[in-house]
Amino acid sequence: MADRLRDLGVEAEIRSGEALDLIEAWGGADHVVVVDAVETGASFGTVRLWDGGKASFPADKSVSTHGLGVSAAIRLARVLGRLPDRLQVYGIEGRRFEHGTEVSPELKPAVEHVVRQINAARRL
Amino acid sequence: MSSHTKTIRVDTLARVEGEGALYIKLAGERVVDVKLKIYEPPRFFEALLRGRHFSEAPDITARICGICPIAYQMSAIHAIERALGTRIDPAVRLLRRLFYCGEWIESHTLHVYMLHAPDFLGYQDAIAMARDHRAVVERALRLKKIGNRIVTLLGGREIHPISAAVGGFYKVPRKQQLQELVEDLKWALDASLETARWSASLEFPDFEQGYEFVALRHPDEYPFNEGRLVSNRGLDIDAAEYEDHFVELHVKHSNALHSVVRGRGSYLVGPLARFNLNFDKLPEVAQQVAREIKLVIPVKNPFRSIMVRGVEIVFACAEALRIIREYEPPTVTRVEVPNQAGVGQAITEAPRGILYHRYAMDEKGLIIAAKIIPPTSQNQKRIEDDLRDYAVRLMAWPLEEASWKCEQAIRNYDPCISCATHSLKVTVERAEADGV
Repeated sequence: MADRLRDLGVEAEIRSGEALDLIEAWGGADHVVVVDAVETGASFGTVRLWDGGKASFPADKSVSTHGLGVSAAIRLARVLGRLPDRLQVYGIEGRRFEHGTEVSPELKPAVEHVVRQINAARRL
Repeated sequence: MSSHTKTIRVDTLARVEGEGALYIKLAGERVVDVKLKIYEPPRFFEALLRGRHFSEAPDITARICGICPIAYQMSAIHAIERALGTRIDPAVRLLRRLFYCGEWIESHTLHVYMLHAPDFLGYQDAIAMARDHRAVVERALRLKKIGNRIVTLLGGREIHPISAAVGGFYKVPRKQQLQELVEDLKWALDASLETARWSASLEFPDFEQGYEFVALRHPDEYPFNEGRLVSNRGLDIDAAEYEDHFVELHVKHSNALHSVVRGRGSYLVGPLARFNLNFDKLPEVAQQVAREIKLVIPVKNPFRSIMVRGVEIVFACAEALRIIREYEPPTVTRVEVPNQAGVGQAITEAPRGILYHRYAMDEKGLIIAAKIIPPTSQNQKRIEDDLRDYAVRLMAWPLEEASWKCEQAIRNYDPCISCATHSLKVTVERAEADGV
């Protein structure tokens, strides 16, 4: 996904998802979009979009090795005054979260959808 | 007299890397059962490595852990180089130590401030703690970032470092690039001294155990990548002898394996072991702050591991500055390593403790067998033994607080559950009955 976004001229980074790392990564940016695999119980490949600036952002359910994940990053950044002006979080419903596995090929349409959404939002 | 049975299960162990599962059953004044449940050892990765060329091992194993990828790369690289008789440039050796400094700074900072400190200060999590201790958390952010800069510079990218290789590095930094880290590292050294001193202000339960501490020991330096494996009970072996002295036991309630010293029992790896067995190899600035905060060997209270990690961050910052001062780019950044059959073992000191790798290659350089024993796997039985002794004093506590105290006891070890397993679900359940 990061490569696709860069091809479209969008600044994109791959990060571990650890909270402190995310807060540093988005420092200085006005508009940040975080994309992550999620497990919400929705059907595989479902794409959801959250407003990271809202206090009601859902809590982490740990599906990876991030000691403190995206939700903790947002809540911590809010306390420290380090939230970007605009923070959006895309979650793509996953199925396999083991280390060392590739992204499931069936997720390609969802990934491409998110890429198009991010690119479109950038132009607004 | 009626017997009072209490069962504690923690459903989700918070603030460890990955997730964790714990089951404790108390009856009267006795701990009847302790199970630290772990699912899936890293056998997936051992299987994944089979049939791959040895040059792929650093990249594959780096994905075992999001917090300690360098540890996996270093153990893999050293084991394979040993098998193939590879000799590296001395400057490459220094760069590998610098690489590890970055990871230790990152990992220890994350644990000390974000995962462990909330326990001692009475906060549910680091976010709650940040509301009242903002400066402390800001310090952690900046410290971790400096560690990350080192890792990114040497590793080639932010995550899943790609530059470390069998034989050296694909790309090494210029001297100037390392010099650009110096000012930040000087700040980091001061901040880490402040961290160590701050850690001494915390309150610690009076709880000591008779551990067998196991760590690397090197004649000239605080250990990262090299040394003999020693213990406070007379162990002194080469990495090649590891499997002669350590046994992995399959435990019914856990998909991980419990490591024991053959003929003895559980043992402890990680900062306490390193500190107790290598205090004299710490640079003076680290020894001095340890004395100042009255951290005297042998440290046998696992809760004081937060202090030891604080001192190890001091060491890592000081060592990084020393290496940068001495560094001149290597003449050969990466030696060619021809394909040949061989078997090699190596142990390096991940932030959480010794990480053992063994590889066997065929004449084409393809891996035919791999064995990986993470530090958290090795501490597994020791954590259970700690809980068995610690939990009995929690009988009188309300369940919720007793469960939290048990979680704290596990977090002393900074367990990287993702290394020992895919995911570990901690369940603490309480049952109360008279006479049952």
